[in-house]
Amino acid sequence: MKNQRDILTEINHKDGLTVPDGYFESFAAKLSEALPFREEAEMPANIIRPPHTLWTRIRPYVYLAAMFAGIWCMLKMFSLMISPSDANNVIDRNPVLAEAIKNDVFINDYIFNDLNQWDIIDEMIEDGFDSSSLEEIAVSDSDVTFIDPAALPVAE
Amino acid sequence: MADLPTENNLLIARLRDPQTCREAFGEVIKTYTEPLYWQIRRMVQSHDDANDVLQNTFLKAWSSIENFRGDAKLSTWLYKIAINESITFLDRERKRLSISIDDQEADLARTIEADPHFDGDELQRKLRIAIASLPEKQRLVFNMKYFDDMKYEDMSNILGTSVGALKASYHLAVKKIESFFSETD
Repeated sequence: MKNQRDILTEINHKDGLTVPDGYFESFAAKLSEALPFREEAEMPANIIRPPHTLWTRIRPYVYLAAMFAGIWCMLKMFSLMISPSDANNVIDRNPVLAEAIKNDVFINDYIFNDLNQWDIIDEMIEDGFDSSSLEEIAVSDSDVTFIDPAALPVAE
Repeated sequence: MADLPTENNLLIARLRDPQTCREAFGEVIKTYTEPLYWQIRRMVQSHDDANDVLQNTFLKAWSSIENFRGDAKLSTWLYKIAINESITFLDRERKRLSISIDDQEADLARTIEADPHFDGDELQRKLRIAIASLPEKQRLVFNMKYFDDMKYEDMSNILGTSVGALKASYHLAVKKIESFFSETD
């Protein structure tokens, strides 16, 4: 039996593989022609990058700030779009009315002047006031005259 | 594997220039078709399969040329792609035929026996069958060292394995081939 190392030496780094005649030349030529077009690699216009200026660096932050400013403007606009007359009718939002309410003369002249005790009682009964409790109040308060609930006008 | 650094750099610069990249890649194909073919052929054995894998190798390189950073040699990058494509092909074939690794070795041996593109002697045929029976990594290492006389440092860059491990792998491959010959004598 031959020494196995000798066998590898005898084979002499050759494997006996072959290829068809002219294979390498034709392969290279055919494949070079068949290479697909690659837009990203072969179109110069597509790979030109814009110059790295101050504007390109701060642009994202400017856009971000503009976006927030836009959102703020929209919210402000929506709040203004609520009907101004409705808003002013609310006492809390109307400084003139709020000031007038504080004035006793105004209250006496324009609000209490238009009220009488029947209106107040009507309103209370409409709101579900229990008229029987008036009796208890009258008993404990000698200055108050008892009013018979049956004698009260029925609210329509 | 012998790239002159300046030539390598010039070629890489031309590959990155949109005006010259196609022409430069044509030169890459011309230069590397033969060495890559032999590397692939020794893995997949059949000429037709090697032709397909070689074509896929170059197409993959062409489609991902931007990924080549230029800090390694162009040949190293191409060999890496070729080896990956060869291993992927063998895996795919194994799945397609639903066979195990052992069965695939037998299948490769049958391909070698019936290979019309072979004009070697009986010893060379037996060596091919012995190599086909090696694990993939040892097969690669043995082919690169024995047939291409590639430096271990270059092999290390291609295969991503330490030089020491490659030397051990080659030594093991030689031992297995020797025992294959002694068993079949």
